[in-house]
Amino acid sequence: MLKKILLIEDDKFLRELMNKKLVVMGYDVVAAADGESGLAMIKEAKPDVVLLDLILPGMNGFDVLEKAKADPETANVPVIILSNLGQSEDIEKGLKLGAKDFLVKAHFTPQEIINKLKTIVE
Amino acid sequence: MYEETVNLKEAKEDELRRVRVALLNILEDTEESRKEAVSERNKTMAIIENLTDGILLLNKVNQVEIISPPVVDFFRKEKEAVIGKDVSDLFSGEDLKQLKEALIDGEAGRKVKQIFRQEVSVGNRLDLEVTTVYLKTESEEKGVLIIFHDVTRDKLVERMKTEFVSIAAHQLRTPLSAIKWTLRMVLDGDAGALSAEQKDLLEKTYVSNERMISLINDLLNVSRIEEGRFLYKQAPGQLEEVVKTVVESSKELFKMRKVSMSVDIPEGISPVNMDKEKMELAVQNLVENAAKYTPEGGSIHITLEKHEAEVVFKIKDTGVGIPEAEHERIFTKFFRGDNVIKMETEGSGLGLYTTRNIIDAHRGKIWFESKEGKGTTFFFSLPYAKH
Repeated sequence: MLKKILLIEDDKFLRELMNKKLVVMGYDVVAAADGESGLAMIKEAKPDVVLLDLILPGMNGFDVLEKAKADPETANVPVIILSNLGQSEDIEKGLKLGAKDFLVKAHFTPQEIINKLKTIVE
Repeated sequence: MYEETVNLKEAKEDELRRVRVALLNILEDTEESRKEAVSERNKTMAIIENLTDGILLLNKVNQVEIISPPVVDFFRKEKEAVIGKDVSDLFSGEDLKQLKEALIDGEAGRKVKQIFRQEVSVGNRLDLEVTTVYLKTESEEKGVLIIFHDVTRDKLVERMKTEFVSIAAHQLRTPLSAIKWTLRMVLDGDAGALSAEQKDLLEKTYVSNERMISLINDLLNVSRIEEGRFLYKQAPGQLEEVVKTVVESSKELFKMRKVSMSVDIPEGISPVNMDKEKMELAVQNLVENAAKYTPEGGSIHITLEKHEAEVVFKIKDTGVGIPEAEHERIFTKFFRGDNVIKMETEGSGLGLYTTRNIIDAHRGKIWFESKEGKGTTFFFSLPYAKH
């Protein structure tokens, strides 16, 4: 069965690019454009990995992560933060809340992001 | 007989006159001293009243003796209502709770604590830097002077700067990531095959975009340092660990630049006090410079040396060197060597400037030796952490 990736990203173009690359690489992709629907989808779609943006309309990524980790049903779903924030305080906060990794979008190509993701799902 | 009496009388009168003059002189002196004392007091009060820092003077039984106008504002109390009152009466109200905790030692019989430039916030409205000074002669305590320095504005500016840097980085990176991802995917053939010429052009665009991304990182790093100067998380740590991390993460760069790299680290280096993140940046800048300005086939050698009171980091390359005429300007902001500008290498002119700031902030020294065409060696020293 294909591994399922949930992409929570509000920028439409970035979402499309990442989606396309993931499909090419043989993943099943579901996507959300804001925090609330992203959090709901972690629960419903039961993804193998979540790629989570931080600056999102409404509920931000930190809140999504915190709530997902607080819910026993979703606490074990691995989350990789994929954001263009990158101050050390943000990184520390993300990892403390339970993210597996913190990737700054501008510092990684889609392929490199998928390589990171692969080490977690396989 | 008569004459004698007259003489005696005159002598007495004379004496009386002299006594009177002397008395008048004494009175005059006293009056002058009093006037002087009053004028001194007025002068002191004028100074205290007009200082922008707030002054609170307590007598030896902790009663308020002087309260200057800024303190009246900070505490939001009436001056007349607090003069002569015990200092602990000043702190009624929820927003003064933190200030009370910082200043009054409840266990030691409501004694004023000795503090130096401690930052305390007053509700959400003020940030004060508080210092207490005990006034005493050799034999007795005379009271306590408490100085309040208002840093509300500085703190606000600091917060705004941090926020600005964070938002600016985020906003600038977002479109650049879109460009990066698109170019990479097109280059990887995810959108169909490319001709050799198309590929070549897009590769160059990709490199340009990467340059833009690293420029943004550099710029925002410098603002952080200027904002800081100002190390955030200083703790004893091992310099060799920082060096190893940076070398490890730069392996790709050395391979790409086709230069060899060796490291020589002795055992048992004492810890140094450092902000690890900043120190990594400082070392990384020196390593990147060495890699960037060393032609293919060259070599870079890093050593750490144990000295009596300090550890010395040394990075030697066989690169293009720094022209003699430019040695003085090398650590200034936006400096770029004449010879390297012609090489068309990327660079912002902020690396060495940043590195020097970081080393300075750690009370270290940085210097170099260089010969154009032969190579450069950069050194920096850091004092060992005191036990």
